[in-house]
Amino acid sequence: MRDWTTFVRSRLCLTGLTPNREARIVRELAVQLEDFYRDGLARGLSESDADGEACRQISDWDRLAEDVRLADRLHAASRFDRLADSLDVAASAERAGIRGGARMLSNVLRDARYSLRQLRQSPGFSIVAVLTLALGIGATTTMFSVVNSVILRPLPYPQPQELVSVVEILPRFGRFSVAPATFLDWRAQNSVFEHIVAYTGGNATFVDANGPDRVINAAVSWDMFELLRVTPALGRGFSAEEDAPGKANVIVLSHGMWQRRFGGDPGVLGRSISLNGAPFTIVGVMPAGFRFPSRQTEYWVPLALNPANATRGGHYLGAIARVKTGTSIEQADAEMRTISERLALQYPENSAKESSEVRSLQETVVGEVRPALLILLAAVGVVVLIACANVANLLLVRGFVRAREIAIRTALGAARRRLISQMLVESLMVSLIGGAVGLLLAYLAIGPVQTLSAGSIPRVDDVSIDGRVLAFSLLLSVLTGVLFGLAPAVYAGRVGILEVLKEGGRSSTGTGGRWTRSVLLVTEVALSIVLLVGATLLLRSFSHLTDVDPGFQPERALAFRVALPNAIYREEHQRVAFYERLLDQLEALPQVTAAGLVQALPMRGDYTLSFTVRGRPDPKPGDETSANHRSISPDYFKALGVPLLGGRAFTARDAEKAPMVAIVDQSFVDRYFPGEDPLGQGIDIGNGTDGFYEIVGVVGNVHHAGLARDPSPTMYVPFKQDVFSSVWILARTDGDPAQLTPLARQVVKSVDPGLPVFGLTPLATVVSDSLADRRFSLLLLALFAALAVFLAAVGLYGVVAYSVSQRTQEIGVRMAIGARRGHVLSMVLTEGMKLALIGVAIGLIGALALSGLMSKMLFRVTPGDPVSYVVTAAVLVAIAALACYIPALRATRVDPIVALRQG
Amino acid sequence: MFSSELKKGSTEMLVLSLLDARPRHGYEIGKLIEARSGGRLTFALPTLYPTLLRLETRGWIKGTWVEKAGQRERCFYRLTPKGRRVLADQRETWKAYVSAVNDVLGESGA
Repeated sequence: MRDWTTFVRSRLCLTGLTPNREARIVRELAVQLEDFYRDGLARGLSESDADGEACRQISDWDRLAEDVRLADRLHAASRFDRLADSLDVAASAERAGIRGGARMLSNVLRDARYSLRQLRQSPGFSIVAVLTLALGIGATTTMFSVVNSVILRPLPYPQPQELVSVVEILPRFGRFSVAPATFLDWRAQNSVFEHIVAYTGGNATFVDANGPDRVINAAVSWDMFELLRVTPALGRGFSAEEDAPGKANVIVLSHGMWQRRFGGDPGVLGRSISLNGAPFTIVGVMPAGFRFPSRQTEYWVPLALNPANATRGGHYLGAIARVKTGTSIEQADAEMRTISERLALQYPENSAKESSEVRSLQETVVGEVRPALLILLAAVGVVVLIACANVANLLLVRGFVRAREIAIRTALGAARRRLISQMLVESLMVSLIGGAVGLLLAYLAIGPVQTLSAGSIPRVDDVSIDGRVLAFSLLLSVLTGVLFGLAPAVYAGRVGILEVLKEGGRSSTGTGGRWTRSVLLVTEVALSIVLLVGATLLLRSFSHLTDVDPGFQPERALAFRVALPNAIYREEHQRVAFYERLLDQLEALPQVTAAGLVQALPMRGDYTLSFTVRGRPDPKPGDETSANHRSISPDYFKALGVPLLGGRAFTARDAEKAPMVAIVDQSFVDRYFPGEDPLGQGIDIGNGTDGFYEIVGVVGNVHHAGLARDPSPTMYVPFKQDVFSSVWILARTDGDPAQLTPLARQVVKSVDPGLPVFGLTPLATVVSDSLADRRFSLLLLALFAALAVFLAAVGLYGVVAYSVSQRTQEIGVRMAIGARRGHVLSMVLTEGMKLALIGVAIGLIGALALSGLMSKMLFRVTPGDPVSYVVTAAVLVAIAALACYIPALRATRVDPIVALRQG
Repeated sequence: MFSSELKKGSTEMLVLSLLDARPRHGYEIGKLIEARSGGRLTFALPTLYPTLLRLETRGWIKGTWVEKAGQRERCFYRLTPKGRRVLADQRETWKAYVSAVNDVLGESGA
């Protein structure tokens, strides 16, 4: 009689059942077939006929397997099972006899279904693998969505590739704003642009029922909307006639201002409103989302340059253009350069050695942040690689555990190709689920990233998950799935049936597998070292930056802005009177210890003017000396906290009619009066029409252009001798500067009820805002590095722990023949640490090779900074030691008796 | 004899009712159906066995491996209390259905 159990087992391919369950079913079917056989014999059949009859009882084994599997499933099927069932097309397609491509699809679907069950059977593995990938893919998708929106997505205008920005190149300052007369010449002489327009940002006081408010505007050439090819949503843009002095009393509203201040009333066209005390007629409303030149721009008015008095010395215009169809940006650049150089020769007194540059507008908007963003994207890509290596390791370990299953299936005739594809489908399932979770993480992360990067990255408000991001994360998921699935799949294809079966499927760690896992682990450690070095370099740069003395005391001071409308404050003495009253009233407050004003805050950039020194020959054109210029009130230095090093501060007597005086800072003295006494020297600021300012004092250096730049030479003049209509007020207090906010509003209101207060900021925030972009890069890179190190540590732990579990018997033998616990501990530790140290060494070399890429992001730290490398290596070795120590400790607790009995 | 569609709906009830008297093993159930129906009803192993598993999964019957003297070890199925309730329900429904069908056939035949 045949062995019916073997007969059934060899024909019935049951998947997704527990081994016990499967055994029972096989046994029962065998028993019943044997019943049929014995029944046949009892009815007088020959042995072979009875055997044949019994065998014929089951003709379609696949179908039986399928029916059994379905019947066996719990009545209340889990959601997971229903998902798996929805993939059950495979079986039915096969039953229906479909072949070819459909059969391949049905195979893939069957593999997918099988994988889902496998994953459910080892939830620990599945959760770790999916979460690891979700972290990696999520972080990468977030970063890519930023890169996509900021760098890759074209500007939101038709034919954006034709848009360019045009700047002047000044011999001393490089790229610079455009002077009005130069712009008018460009416009008249060029043949490469369809349009070229100029614009300048400003702000104005707008009064409505809610009181006065400051709104940001832009004065633009009339054809700017046409250039950008954006038509107003309501009404019209400007006409050429309106772009002229005296005719420019028309205004186009932004969608936001129209909604906020006019309630979206379609009847606003033709309405007259008052801005800065002058009447304007509303002629149009731009569509939502149109924001140029800045996202805060609330309305536009014609620029109305006057050719009669346009100058070449005052550079304050931005210029953009659209190149004619068929003209390249390079051609445009060449022609504009020729024109500018001709103008430089024509007007040597103002424009000597000047040139121009035409760049794509996209490049101008995002060019500065591109390197940092790409470095971050690369960094996060490294995190994905580490995640892949980790999951590959997990799969490999699991592959060995499943080696017996694979060997048996191969022995039963499963094709290797099918096995490999089965393994790949399984890793793809893991990566796709990980990708889906990662996408969810990315979706949640975008908000915080926008908050974190506000002000340091252009266009960051537009960051969103669009089709390209979705495609990216899908591709990334598939790639990672193939990447980490490849090693186990190849291993599965190569697995030797005999070896596995001979070893009883227990300790099946071939040298090949161990080698692969070691390589993966070393790679992980090396990659995380690279990231960690990068983060450490940024961290040290950042800490050096925050250690920089800004030259003033940012704590306990409040800054805010007031701007006097020209229509009301026509004369200089009116403005001076306003400022004096405002400062007096502020200083009269018991909470305020000092109050001062200045036209431009520190940390926000230079405001430079050229000057000449009395008694020295005039410099040649193009070699003019220039320095930062600040117009200040007497108590400005007290309010800002800048020390007076010599001479005197300004007083109330340094007024319009009094002798002109100036104070310079130490770096000015070092540069222009080395070894001389600056006090009593005369400097002529600007274009030499006002005469010489006599230097009466010297103060400490202030960082005007940010902490990363050395303080540039600065000259201060009394505000009454150079009156600005828009100024910053600084108020110093003993307590919390935020408490001054309502007081500041009150004081301004009491001096002029029609004047808004804006830009209220603690001075300390001004300093920290200046570091926003560096903080953003640092935080993200640190986060990625932490993620990388964490993943590498988990990987290291996993490999060592697995190795310990495989060597339990060996360790038991060693301990039985007298090895001490300390010896076992060091043996296991050494094994893991050897890999970690190789990884650290390779990683340090890699970091040294790559860190040069980020030299622009560093401050007072060289890319090869030894401290960063040593600290990083030490941190990683410590973490690696911990990751190895836990399993090593477990190894020492192996009970020799138990271990040996297991053998 | 009968179409498989017709048989499908009643297999479970037949199995349950056979187990109502006493526990039986799979082969015995198949043979009993065949014998009691005078050979008009036969259920092949590939149909019957998944049915047994399904009923067991639902908790209506319970299989136990038993080795009787002189016999091979077999899996005997018995009705669970839940299965007994289900069988009672099914019998009621079946009777009602059959009488309704008879009524219809009787009317049209008359």
